Amino acid sequence: MELPILPTTVVGSYSMPGWLERLKTEYYARRISRRDLDEIHDTAVKAAIKDQEMAGLDIISDGELRRDNMIDYFAERLPGVQIDHATKKFHYDLYDSKVQGKLPIGPLGLVDDFKFLRANTERETKFCITGPHTLSKRIRNEHYPSEQEFAMDLARVMNPELKAIAKAGAHFIQVDEPYFSGFPEDFEWGVKALNLLVDGVEAKVAVHICYGNRYGKPSWEGSYEYLMPGILDAHVQQITLEFARRGGEDLEIFRELPPRFELGIGVIDVKTQAVETPDLVAERIRKALEVIPAERLFVLPDCGLLHLSRDVAFAKLAAMVGGTHLVRKELKH
Amino acid sequence: MILQLNHLHRKPAASTTQEVVDTLYALLEEGRLEREQFARLRVHLDWIQYRQNFRECVMAIGSTSDPRSECSSLEVHIDMRQVTPGALRDAILRAMPSSDVPAPAQDAVFLEEFRSFRESIAWGFNRLYWHRLAEWEEFTGRGYEQALPGGKSDANHPAAVADCVADFWTLLRDLESHKQLPEEIFVLEIGVGMGRRAGLWMDRFRALDAERGTKYYPRLRFLLGDYSLATLERSRPVMENHLELCSFVVLDALNPLKNLAFLRHKVLHIHLTNVYDNLPDEEFARREGQLYAVQVRAYIPPPDAARISGEFQIPAADIPRTVHRLLEGGPDYLADRKRGLAFWQEVWQAMRLEERLVSLDDLPDVALPTGLHQEQLEEALEGAPSDVRFHMSSGALESFQNTVPLLHPRGFLQVQDIFVTNFNEYRLGFHGPGKLDGSIVNWVNGVLLREVGERAGYDVHFAPFHYRPGSRTSVLYTTQRE
Repeated sequence: MELPILPTTVVGSYSMPGWLERLKTEYYARRISRRDLDEIHDTAVKAAIKDQEMAGLDIISDGELRRDNMIDYFAERLPGVQIDHATKKFHYDLYDSKVQGKLPIGPLGLVDDFKFLRANTERETKFCITGPHTLSKRIRNEHYPSEQEFAMDLARVMNPELKAIAKAGAHFIQVDEPYFSGFPEDFEWGVKALNLLVDGVEAKVAVHICYGNRYGKPSWEGSYEYLMPGILDAHVQQITLEFARRGGEDLEIFRELPPRFELGIGVIDVKTQAVETPDLVAERIRKALEVIPAERLFVLPDCGLLHLSRDVAFAKLAAMVGGTHLVRKELKH
Repeated sequence: MILQLNHLHRKPAASTTQEVVDTLYALLEEGRLEREQFARLRVHLDWIQYRQNFRECVMAIGSTSDPRSECSSLEVHIDMRQVTPGALRDAILRAMPSSDVPAPAQDAVFLEEFRSFRESIAWGFNRLYWHRLAEWEEFTGRGYEQALPGGKSDANHPAAVADCVADFWTLLRDLESHKQLPEEIFVLEIGVGMGRRAGLWMDRFRALDAERGTKYYPRLRFLLGDYSLATLERSRPVMENHLELCSFVVLDALNPLKNLAFLRHKVLHIHLTNVYDNLPDEEFARREGQLYAVQVRAYIPPPDAARISGEFQIPAADIPRTVHRLLEGGPDYLADRKRGLAFWQEVWQAMRLEERLVSLDDLPDVALPTGLHQEQLEEALEGAPSDVRFHMSSGALESFQNTVPLLHPRGFLQVQDIFVTNFNEYRLGFHGPGKLDGSIVNWVNGVLLREVGERAGYDVHFAPFHYRPGSRTSVLYTTQRE
């Protein structure tokens, strides 16, 4: 599928409707069945796909609306992870989850999620998963000698699922590793775990690294300086980063990014309900074009949109597409 | 009849209770109360903490009809602090509504129609007090801190300030060790008053920083926020030794984000003392599973209205209009400022609030405070007593919601105030509103604050203020959930 220059996409999640949150809670309270919840999820995902198409995005995700949050959806699927279901009050809170033995390999059920996405849009797709470093920070390790070894084993057991997703037709997979920014001291072994995760996966792979988006707020502050030069060892083709909220100062760090890497730049602040104008988006893209050529630049929000209301999320995506069109026109002339 | 007795401080509780019961039986026998009405009466004997408050000694509260019953219920609240032996029967008779003489009394002067407390004219007086504090103080001859229980604010307790500074310094040290300490270190205090706490805090921080050689002090950016420029000016002298690091910001405690949006996610410490207890609020009540909004109507009781009318040469019927002009233009409106101040004080002291309970079924558009969803309220009430009256603390919730986005991801918000941290506490006695000199004081519903905070991704903890024995203050401590 041919993509235009400056392809537009989401980081992964789309606005989580209040009614869906309430229905998820109803499910936890055993007031609706799993079958009903699955049907509700299918309907919500179709609506998220449609919204992204209507906003004019080039690459579509499933909006991650089946997921409670970026940890639990995977923790619940990983064989060997024990979950205390009583520890969660609100669907977005995290379970108390732990491993007490070596993780076995088994299917995670993510292939079906991808197939559903693929079946419901004609456009290019992106499928996102949470990376092993981030998971190792939120699932309590009571077995492995170190966090690093735990993360490496998480990568080992998740790798077959990624291969299966690629085999099912996914051309573009994104690994989310926001905890790199909170724990830059782990970065070296975090990249090793990332490489093991994507080893042999026949698809374009992006890694998304932001400063956190728990409950719509940053979890850390700092600079992307820590990414260099370690990120150059990552076996990925794209790095997507947060620039809209934090400003574009860190863009300079990536001026010498080797040609084998694309850069996905965040041009939409997902931590405020204020909607950007297309002009502001265009200005942010132009600033990025000062350090990286258009052929290697992708346009995205800073992070997932799940904490924004639907109308705001949609308006922000539309503004992002509008701003991208403005720059595309300039590039043609 | 339901009789609810609270701890009756320093009163011969048993005999007074007996007198109440005897009086009600007598009214029944005299035909002044109907049997049905008598059976559905709910009598609450309480000891009102605030000597100055908005209640008569005996107050009757009606409610809109419960759709499941054929008869409206009636609540009678008796303030055991105000009641005098032998006068109870008359007080009850005055308060009880009857077909010919509706309570509080036909010749009371009403200042507004029934409405939510947060929209009441009472808050207009509260605003006027803070805007014209200096004039009020000059007129009364005493500062607002002297009106506080104990005569001084817990905000300025040296040991509490020292502990806060120590916690903050530790946070900075930790951030520095992770190379995450920002170049500019923002600290915000909202509601600085005379600035005493801010001054103490800065003095202590500078000393600690020098003692440990960490050089954080020059990187501090201390923002002092308050209601009005006049108030902020009063705090400037106290900050004299730190002025180059201070900014004085006029802001509305209900929405600090409005003026400080440029500091979103940047402030490492925010502090408030006794601000939430003075923000617009409203009350709700649950009776037999049904939720009611408490509506109020401000009035001047007949004897006070007559006295004020005579003293200020204003016909009683014109008092409401004069009050509204006072609230719009301040005491100068009455030509002679001294006379205006006297009128203001007289009306404020005399003002009472009539109350009624309105079923929420009758209020389809009832607006919950931002950040609080219906299901959260229901969930919070699940563990509450089936019959409870509680504060919604709408102003405090609004302020909290509009303050926490300023916090740096590792920053903390600290609020010293009077919190109810468990719905059961509401059963133990009256929690406001009261009058504190010219302002309003109200306990804050910590349960709902915690609920809203947690849903927004913040951990909210309460601890007793242990620095002063007998203090009613608690400390709310909030950090972003990891």
